[in-house]
Amino acid sequence: MATVSEFRFSEFVKSILWLLFWVTLVVSLIVLPIIFIVLFYVPEPIIDGQRINPYLLLTMLTNPQIGAPLIKATMETTFFKVVVLPGFTFAALFATVLIYAERKILAKMQLRVGPYHAGREAFWWANSLGGFLQLIADLLKLLGKEIIVPKGADKPIFLAAPVVLIIASAGLVALIPIAPNWVVADIDVGLLAVFALLGFFPLTALLASYASNSKYPFIGGLRALYQLISYEIPLILSVLGVVILAGTLSLTGIVEAQNPYWFIVLLPIGAVIFFITALAELERIPFDLPEAESEIVAGWLTEYSGMTYGLIQLANYIKMYVLSALFVTLFLGGWSGPQIASSLEIFNVTLITAEEANGMTWFVIKTLGIAILMIIIRGINPRIKIDLLLKTAWGKLIAVAFINVFIAVALLYLGVVTVGA
Amino acid sequence: MGSISGMLRALASGSKHLAIRRFTLRYPEQKLKFVGDGYQFDPKEGVGIAGYRGRHILYHDKCTGCQLCSIACEGIAEAITMVKIDKQYKQNKKGIMPQIDYGKCVFCGLCVDACPFYALFMTDDYELAAYTKEHLIYTPDQLAVKPKYVGTYEIKIDELGAYHDE
Amino acid sequence: MQQEDKALKDRVREIPGLQMEGEDRGILTLSVGPQHPGSGHFRLIIKVDGDIIAEALPDPGYVHRGEEKMCEYRNYIQNIPHLERPMIADSCGILYPYVLAVEELLGIQVPERAKYIRVIMAEINRCIFELYWLAIYGIFLGHSTMFMWPMADRELLIDLAEMASGARVTHAYFVPGGVRNDIPDIFVEKATKHVKYFRSRLKEYESIFYANPLFQARTVNVGVLRREDAINLGATGPVLRASGVEHDIRKAEPYDVYDEMDFKVITMKEGDSYARAYVPWLEMYESVEIILQALEKIPNGPVRIKLGPNPKGGVAEVFKRVEAARGELAYYIVSDGNPKPYRVKLSVPSFRELPVMAHLLKGAKLADMPSIYWSMNYWPVEADR
Repeated sequence: MATVSEFRFSEFVKSILWLLFWVTLVVSLIVLPIIFIVLFYVPEPIIDGQRINPYLLLTMLTNPQIGAPLIKATMETTFFKVVVLPGFTFAALFATVLIYAERKILAKMQLRVGPYHAGREAFWWANSLGGFLQLIADLLKLLGKEIIVPKGADKPIFLAAPVVLIIASAGLVALIPIAPNWVVADIDVGLLAVFALLGFFPLTALLASYASNSKYPFIGGLRALYQLISYEIPLILSVLGVVILAGTLSLTGIVEAQNPYWFIVLLPIGAVIFFITALAELERIPFDLPEAESEIVAGWLTEYSGMTYGLIQLANYIKMYVLSALFVTLFLGGWSGPQIASSLEIFNVTLITAEEANGMTWFVIKTLGIAILMIIIRGINPRIKIDLLLKTAWGKLIAVAFINVFIAVALLYLGVVTVGA
Repeated sequence: MGSISGMLRALASGSKHLAIRRFTLRYPEQKLKFVGDGYQFDPKEGVGIAGYRGRHILYHDKCTGCQLCSIACEGIAEAITMVKIDKQYKQNKKGIMPQIDYGKCVFCGLCVDACPFYALFMTDDYELAAYTKEHLIYTPDQLAVKPKYVGTYEIKIDELGAYHDE
Repeated sequence: MQQEDKALKDRVREIPGLQMEGEDRGILTLSVGPQHPGSGHFRLIIKVDGDIIAEALPDPGYVHRGEEKMCEYRNYIQNIPHLERPMIADSCGILYPYVLAVEELLGIQVPERAKYIRVIMAEINRCIFELYWLAIYGIFLGHSTMFMWPMADRELLIDLAEMASGARVTHAYFVPGGVRNDIPDIFVEKATKHVKYFRSRLKEYESIFYANPLFQARTVNVGVLRREDAINLGATGPVLRASGVEHDIRKAEPYDVYDEMDFKVITMKEGDSYARAYVPWLEMYESVEIILQALEKIPNGPVRIKLGPNPKGGVAEVFKRVEAARGELAYYIVSDGNPKPYRVKLSVPSFRELPVMAHLLKGAKLADMPSIYWSMNYWPVEADR
């Protein structure tokens, strides 16, 4: 029989007090002095003729006349955009919703329940939305596991690979426009930057598998390399038609160019090819070869345990959000749609105008729709074999993508579509 | 072309299933209902009476200690041993009754088929988990207790699919 | 360390076929071993030349536990829960020839109602096994929906089996002399409802699995077994019928009341993995037909002949065979007048498919290995007994 240490309440209280003691000590002796030293050297901003220090800032926030424009000013800074709204927090929340939606929709299609117990008794409205805290439970579990680096593995590369994946995914998030003025990086060659960042993924997969020093990840990494590189070419080619019709490479420009008709109406073949190659870039079923197979145990991420595995999955789901958002931007008109949302105002200061709020709502609805389509396609298909995979990519998809480009050029020269402003 | 129509057909079928009811039985809150009252055997006719083959129930006022159940089980799982009991019964001259080890029993019910005195039947109870192997050995007194199993859910079929409901 | 390596090499050399040195350069020996996510408890030694399988050597025996010898220590009734264990998913199928053989040995005639009930339970068990097999086929190819749907539909049939026999999977329902207990009154109505709903569910598998172009790309023209090879190598069951040979023991040597049932023998001409996956699906429709007919025609009467506690026959040898879900299952029992049999020989279809599997895997691509292997209806526990 295993011995279980007994729970004593006095021990529990003692551990809490010990924690409080250490937190107080560290904060008062180290953190606060650092804050004051930083504030001593950094010049404080002057607003309305007064020098702001932290106490004044907090006092001002209680006054709505001053607080609201302050909040609006923060929302226009790049920091806010990178961290919160079109940036990382938004993407991470979207990825979280996507993970929950994937598990529940897949379960419903397979006539079962999916996550059910986590969070059922938490709130009164949670009873029908069973298991919505399952992701938090999985996160806590992954945080508590030991990160095992295999013997003989190349430790710096092994541990750096998940971080590089997150960085690449986050870089892609920065390029997506979700509303007329809400982009983190509004550059003129946005589409080129997207493809440049997409080139990180095959390289990282190969390095991660090579650094694992084990034969199953090695086979999986090679297959990931074949698949991701082969499918990048049809991906780029299918987007060429859109670029020809829009006349610009910047993503905001492409959205604004879809004025009377969305590009999916004019170039349906390109949309289908983009969707298929996006599924292949995401390593989702049916293009699941590198990851999960009955011949190799889990592919190139076999040796990743604990939070490194969590980071890789987070990067995967953020990439899923990005590619769905890209499909929406390129083919489905981005943020355009009939006006259904109203602006967000607090104390007579508009934080988000009505047009922008409408754009954000439609963007979220359309991206969720495409992501749900990806999830349903996962549910109905088996895995594809490697020779069919490569034959499709190099043979059929490139040929059809070229036909798509010819259609785009023909539409332009026949005057059906004029190049957007 | 054939592949596109095949893919669309699969997509239609998959999407149709989003409207069909889920089939899962959510176990601890929902328990299955069984037809009948547990497997029993009628030695006069020589045929059994349909029921679920769960834990046994031993009727102390009928068991005579003839050991036929133990002999039947010797070739199968050797789960029944006879032990001496304290209380004296009129029909049980040797003073022994079966003791069943559920760590070994395979719930085949051939011991029930062997008993000629209507003393050993089976019940609906299958929730027999225990923390130690010794707790799985049920003495004759434990076997005399009628189990409290309440199961109300069964499979129902309607236009929206099959599901478990009360 | 050196000694450990040497000892390991000696042990490896003892396994037939698994040599590591002295081989052609360029031929890699893979052991799709007993503990692998892609096979059951079964070792398949594959010699791979690049991407093509040069030779495949099946190495069964991982789960051998001496079933046939153990039968000699138990009498005919005690053998029943023992003998259903090698193929527990199709438990009535593996017990059927045993009870038929013992009945012939003891010289008893089974009442009519028992025969109908046995046919119904055997067909239910056939569907239970075929659904499990389809589910695992889906998982081998990465299709998780095709894993969940047959498992859910199997629950409908397991519910029926539990109503009749008292246990969900380990039925132990057939005895020499009939069946152990009569079916409850509610069985006929519930069985009709469940089985008709099951038939409507079978249609769904076509659109998501059989008509799916990705599944067809993996199984059409993969592992083609020609008609002559199928007969010469001794294939049996759906594998034989998918190569165009019309042979079904339920029609060739009918037992119990199969001669009164009206059903077709399903064959397909192509003989590839797709045909071997398609034939069991069509056979499930025929099973449903048989069950519905038997439920209508079932007469009233007794279901079991009362035997003594230690039945024994004379000095005789009996041979009986039956069409189980995987093919022809046969028992050969030698009795010397005692209540315990002298020798029980159990001939299972899975073991007889092994030469066919070795023949088909030779020359196939390595990526085709799961789809060929699983389409052989191989069940490791049954083959090893």
